[in-house]
Amino acid sequence: MKTRILIIIPAYNESQSIERTIGSILQTHYDYVVINDGSTDNTEQILKQQNYNHINLLNNLGIGGAVQTGYKYALENNYDIAIQFDADGQHNAEYIKDLIQPIIDQEADLVIGSCFVNKNSDNQRASKIRRFGVRFLSGTIKLFSGKRIYDPTSGFRAANRKVIELFTNNYPLEYPEPISNYELLRSRHYKIKEVPVKMNKRTTGRSSIHSWKSVYAAINVFLSIIILSIGRNKYD
Amino acid sequence: MTNIQIEMSIAAVLLLILIIASLKKNHISTKSSIAWLLLPIVFLLIAIFPEPLTVLSNWLGFETLSNFIFLIAIALLIILCFFLTVVISHQQTQITKLIQEVSILKHKEHKNDKQK
Repeated sequence: MKTRILIIIPAYNESQSIERTIGSILQTHYDYVVINDGSTDNTEQILKQQNYNHINLLNNLGIGGAVQTGYKYALENNYDIAIQFDADGQHNAEYIKDLIQPIIDQEADLVIGSCFVNKNSDNQRASKIRRFGVRFLSGTIKLFSGKRIYDPTSGFRAANRKVIELFTNNYPLEYPEPISNYELLRSRHYKIKEVPVKMNKRTTGRSSIHSWKSVYAAINVFLSIIILSIGRNKYD
Repeated sequence: MTNIQIEMSIAAVLLLILIIASLKKNHISTKSSIAWLLLPIVFLLIAIFPEPLTVLSNWLGFETLSNFIFLIAIALLIILCFFLTVVISHQQTQITKLIQEVSILKHKEHKNDKQK
């Protein structure tokens, strides 16, 4: 039986880069779905004109709600593997196969495409403050779960059926990547693997998390992790 | 009647009118009005029978009765605010789910239309 693979592309005001991103996905011949998260620019118009497979959210839900819609769609349409892929052109479609392989080999339930895996990793493009934030969160997660992931904030992830079902029922609305990574790490039932990827230079727009906001985000995630570690694991 | 008793009675009656008017116009549900109705009722009771509260206030060491009443009012407001936040969070989850499901359904419908 063929493994069914879906690329989930959340998009909020990405009219500048969406065509190039989907162009690179089309070359891979994987199925994809764009989740247009209530964009206020002409993203919807482009999606419609180019006849790209897309879901228009009636209202802006934020990154967590948008990505979760993609997971719901994946489950409803019987996909075996779902991959989160940014619309802004940061992620490189060439690495999708590297993210899928550990799942096919049943080595992992969730695979994170990471640009901070080792010293040689291509992490110089990230701002200093962001790199510090990522290191801080990585350390926090290590402290509370005992396991190390180097890039807990990466939005380039592949999930198998088990994780798709989990995320469909329960997905953090804010800062979803580090929080869900932590919950999965803490649970005995899931295996996470990180694979090194190279990120493209951002062609347009800015990260949704920038400058002092990254400090705020780090504190927010830090608190969430503490709260989560007190309570029952939702993913257990 | 002292001045503060009269002022509290007026405040309670005004609040009561506001709540009942909102109820009649369906601006608030009966369920959520109960918490708010307690407030003017407590105010009226205090205005009409201040003695027990005065005793309690003295016993707890408050300088004046009005200080004690302020404290009670603020405490009630804080509790009310907190429960409002609980309700908002709950509704946010519900709305998110609704938007997701409707958006997926619309997508499906659109696809089926195209195939016909």
